[in-house]
Amino acid sequence: MAKEVLVMKDVSKEFKVLKRHEGLKGSIRDLFSRDYTSVMAVKNVSLTVEEGEIIGYLGPNGAGKSTTIKMMTGVLEQTSGEITVNGLVPYKERTKNSEKIGVVFGQRSQLWWALPLIESFKLLRDIYMVPEKDYQDMLELYRSLVDIEPILHKPVRQMSLGQRTLSDILAAFLHDPGIVFLDEPTIGLDVSMKAKIRELIKGLNEAKKTTVILTTHDMGDVDALCRRIVIIDEGQKIYDNDIDHLKNYFGSYRTLKLRLEDGSWHEQVIDENKTDVMHVIQETQKKHRITDIQLEEISTEEIIRKIYEGGKAS
Amino acid sequence: METASCRKRGFLFYAGIYRKILVQDLKSKMSYRADFILSNLGMIMTNLSGFVTFMILFHNFPSINGWDYYHMLFLYGFSLIALTPVQCFFDNNWNLRFMVRSGDFIKYCFRPINVFFYFISEVFDIKGIGQFIFGMGTFVYAWRHIGIPVTFVTIAKAVLFLITASLFMIAIMNASAATCFWIINSGYVMVIMFRFKDFAKYPASIFNGIFRFIFTFIIPIAFVAYYPSLVFITPDSVPLLSWLSPLIGAFFFYLSYKFWMLGVRRYDFTGS
Repeated sequence: MAKEVLVMKDVSKEFKVLKRHEGLKGSIRDLFSRDYTSVMAVKNVSLTVEEGEIIGYLGPNGAGKSTTIKMMTGVLEQTSGEITVNGLVPYKERTKNSEKIGVVFGQRSQLWWALPLIESFKLLRDIYMVPEKDYQDMLELYRSLVDIEPILHKPVRQMSLGQRTLSDILAAFLHDPGIVFLDEPTIGLDVSMKAKIRELIKGLNEAKKTTVILTTHDMGDVDALCRRIVIIDEGQKIYDNDIDHLKNYFGSYRTLKLRLEDGSWHEQVIDENKTDVMHVIQETQKKHRITDIQLEEISTEEIIRKIYEGGKAS
Repeated sequence: METASCRKRGFLFYAGIYRKILVQDLKSKMSYRADFILSNLGMIMTNLSGFVTFMILFHNFPSINGWDYYHMLFLYGFSLIALTPVQCFFDNNWNLRFMVRSGDFIKYCFRPINVFFYFISEVFDIKGIGQFIFGMGTFVYAWRHIGIPVTFVTIAKAVLFLITASLFMIAIMNASAATCFWIINSGYVMVIMFRFKDFAKYPASIFNGIFRFIFTFIIPIAFVAYYPSLVFITPDSVPLLSWLSPLIGAFFFYLSYKFWMLGVRRYDFTGS
């Protein structure tokens, strides 16, 4: 059995939000009122992650993804339930926990703004007390995966978004953490940079057996990296399984593309168990002349959209 | 990985990290030479105009509550030196509220080092150096005119009480910056507290009972120059509060640190 690096049992997080009243009178009341409403950001989520996995952690905006990540990294304390990361309780042992994790938060660089990348690396080496040999080996590994020479001596503030993201990911892996949290690592990047970042994550995961929890809205990331995906919505886990299973589950779905006489493409997602593809084509033909037909397997993106829109899967 | 978690991060560890950040930061600041020179020039001008105001005032009122011109100058120089550390080393406190609002503050919570240290170590404000040099000049000039002997003991005392005095201002700024974890318009608190530092260069004996109490025990501005200076100015009748000021300073600093860290803990990091 593979080693479990992260276990969540029935974890919930409740936020207390001050009730705001309208108008001037209301604002004055707010000053003194202790009138709170509670919001459940995460509800009874259980999750087990094994060493070396790359998990796609998905969900619409406001679903509770960030809150979960913050609990796993020890920044927030859960209201109820248990979390252990590398055998530690993150919130109680924040410092110890952070020695064994790496975090990249989308567009927010965690490197020293004014310093060249190599100096940031050296500081991180000291902060995490990485032995010199391990540090050199890691730099060697980086060199074999990406061309770091052009950015190594560049201050972070002069870097492009792509270079900065790359640097942040490298920095997160530098102390060889058991688990790395990546929050939207490819957001805002161009196609070739996205591909580069994905390759790097995959390479580091394979070389170091690092577990990766990847939050993203980009299904390209998921297709390229994840075998397993976890979806949460309104604070609850609604899917946790292999990506292949997802495709089986929605296996009867097809995307039908029809090209009409005016040259435009019309797309439609069809559940073959419910609707006959031939029937749709015939119906369309009655009104328009069809010049081309394509029938495609449903993409991950379409499946996820279907799940977000309410079709629960398990 | 196992060995790393066993090693302790003590004072030497933090001093080493701080030194490295400082060296790198200075290197990068030097590379923006115009910026470096202009900001120091600006600081010297600010101090110069403050000094001119001071001169005009005290040439017209040669003594206040028995304090003559050189005593006042001593107090003035003392306060300028004591206000340097807060300017140089703790200036990032001014950015705290923006980082807390935007959610960027979260990045300080992912490293296995003290959050306060990590945050504060990020910014070294070089402008303070101009102020320090100016303060030193005034201080030494007044010292010689008052005729305080130059011995090992008096210099050691000066160093100790200057450090003590700076702790008070640091504590005040830490605490006022940390209010941003609870209230939205914490900027006002910081600005008001920072203005109070101007009272530091007057002898607290000129304030009436209530204000003296406030500036001693609530917002301890009187400790930034007045109480520690008495050790040198009236060496024959030093009040107990002056002798105790190193302890009180350490205590106030500790309180402000605890308050700051309490803010971090209760901050809920919403606004991903």
